[in-house]
Amino acid sequence: MQESFLSFLGENLQLFLTYTGFYNATPGHIIMILIGLVFIYLAIRYEFEPMLLIPIGFGMLIGNIPFKDAGLQVGIYEEGSVLNILYQGVTQGWYPPLIFLGIGAMTDFSALISNPKLMLIGASAQFGIFGAYIIALQMGFEPNQAGAIGIIGGADGPTAIFLSSKLAPNLMGAIAVSAYSYMALVPIIQPPFMRLLTTKKERVIRMKPPRVVSSTEKIVFPIVGLLLTCFLVPSGLPLLGMLFFGNLLKESGVTRRLAETARGPLIDTITILLGVTVGASTQATQFLTVSSIKIFGLGALSFVIATCAGILFVKFFNLFLKDDNKINPLIGNSGVSAVPDSARISQTVGLEYDPSNYLLMHAMGPNVAGVIGSAVAAGILLGFLV
Amino acid sequence: MIRKKIGVILLFVLLISFGAQAQRVTSMRINEVLVINEDNFVDDYGKRSGWIELYNSSAGTVNIGGCFLTNDKNNPKKYPIPKGDVLTKISPRQHILFWADGRAEKGTFHMNFTLDPSKENYIALYDTDGKTLVDEIIIPANQIVDKSYGRTVDGQDEWGVLAKVTPSTNNLTLDTNERIDNFRQNDPVGIGMTVTAMVVVFLGLILLYVIFKQIGKASVSASKRRAQKASGVTVETESTEISGEVLAAIGAALYELDEDVHDIENTVLTIQKVKRNYSPWSSKIYGLRELPRK
Repeated sequence: MQESFLSFLGENLQLFLTYTGFYNATPGHIIMILIGLVFIYLAIRYEFEPMLLIPIGFGMLIGNIPFKDAGLQVGIYEEGSVLNILYQGVTQGWYPPLIFLGIGAMTDFSALISNPKLMLIGASAQFGIFGAYIIALQMGFEPNQAGAIGIIGGADGPTAIFLSSKLAPNLMGAIAVSAYSYMALVPIIQPPFMRLLTTKKERVIRMKPPRVVSSTEKIVFPIVGLLLTCFLVPSGLPLLGMLFFGNLLKESGVTRRLAETARGPLIDTITILLGVTVGASTQATQFLTVSSIKIFGLGALSFVIATCAGILFVKFFNLFLKDDNKINPLIGNSGVSAVPDSARISQTVGLEYDPSNYLLMHAMGPNVAGVIGSAVAAGILLGFLV
Repeated sequence: MIRKKIGVILLFVLLISFGAQAQRVTSMRINEVLVINEDNFVDDYGKRSGWIELYNSSAGTVNIGGCFLTNDKNNPKKYPIPKGDVLTKISPRQHILFWADGRAEKGTFHMNFTLDPSKENYIALYDTDGKTLVDEIIIPANQIVDKSYGRTVDGQDEWGVLAKVTPSTNNLTLDTNERIDNFRQNDPVGIGMTVTAMVVVFLGLILLYVIFKQIGKASVSASKRRAQKASGVTVETESTEISGEVLAAIGAALYELDEDVHDIENTVLTIQKVKRNYSPWSSKIYGLRELPRK
């Protein structure tokens, strides 16, 4: 009796062992867990986009805990599991528009409205998306995959997730992680190219101070912006619609509570869910592939192309502007979205060459135009390739 | 005020009724018909007979319970689709099959008429009032055995003999993505996509630029006029601009403040002032229990 009980106990313990993470771990799991830890370290130690890298990094840990497939409904890819339900917001593409609602409610478009020609810089920087698209095609990716990879150059995480979930769901994890990683690394990627492509004389150009923008203009902007961009590219509606709606909540002045919810608790909640589920979706089997390495390379390239395109466009544009109306090319880099990091870089690099030349306000113009531009570009890719 | 409220309610009702219209029976379509079924789809009883497929072309669920199907122009109410059957609720872009076996007693989806292979077959769907025609079609005579006649694409106008018989599913199924194939063949380098997309992006933002340039001009002149009117003095140039240096200095100061304010410093004890506004909810007067009266 005692013997049979002991053997029963032993079998149970053996069975339990097969369920543990230690038993099921593979080198892939360990590598992904280490990558997750690096993300968390970068976020805490260097404060690189901590709001994103901590949820994504921790999500990587969650998603790469090895377990036996015993129908326990714990994995993110198991239908009906809690993580799978939360992940629906990513796969069905309804987290990114909600994030855009919050972005709209916290973005002040005054810099852009006061100097609308800065919008063109935001447009030119979108060349990063299509430059990467061309290179991705040459590397053997399908047009839909190339489009999803190219959008990394928009430097806009929610847009990248939204588009890749529609065009190439199997690459979404790598694209999202790549987009957010490079957004965090903008302070390292952009300055060398800003210095390389500008002369000393250009770096000290002083721009005219922006005029005061009336509240009527601020209210009209999201309405006209929505109608115009969405009539042109209806497929951008989910992102652009929510962006401008959020901005109207902010600027109307009569929906303060709604605006505060959109830019506070709502965007925080969605950011948590989005970050942790995207992180958890990067399981070793899906993530550790040659494609992922190519995507990381193309992502870096797209950021570089976007930065260079923005700066070179400003230099070209300056040829047609009067001396007192010229634009400092150091704000060209902020045409990539990455709000407000890339605008801060314009300011920092500008101050290195003229300690009293503050470029931050000017750079915010192309920066927010970049958000609109990348959403329009995503709409075009979606319209052509779905 | 009352008028305004009535106006808002009317607008609301109008919007709802427009929305509801899209999900009514009017969006149902006769989609595919098989007249001669010899070696094709069988019903739940294992029998073969002709069938009619309906398609919900709307984005909402439609309940067709209470509607009528007929093969007789003079008798629109020939087969009343039973009410109260959960299966008559058709999901968006979904299909439902009715068997033309003349055996209505077999269930909701078995009609009380058959299709005649020797002549043209008129088929119609009527709304619940039995008068409003929702959709009708005349199936030509001499149909091919086991070949269905239907819309080439679900819900669209063009009819013909279909390449595949597709009961309860799309009439047109695609093995590949035509758009992607098109780009793969005609634009392998990606220049076409790049040029098109950049033109559209620039166009959109140039339009915004032009519009806001004009709005800006109008706004500046309007604010000047208002300022002149308020002061009663004609001012030639009144600057309403704040210099960039001032704005940047304010921005930088706020950023610094935001970054530097913290209450943990090495070996220095900092005390943050806590200010609580008066509220009856936190008032001690209301919080204290009254002393018992003697």
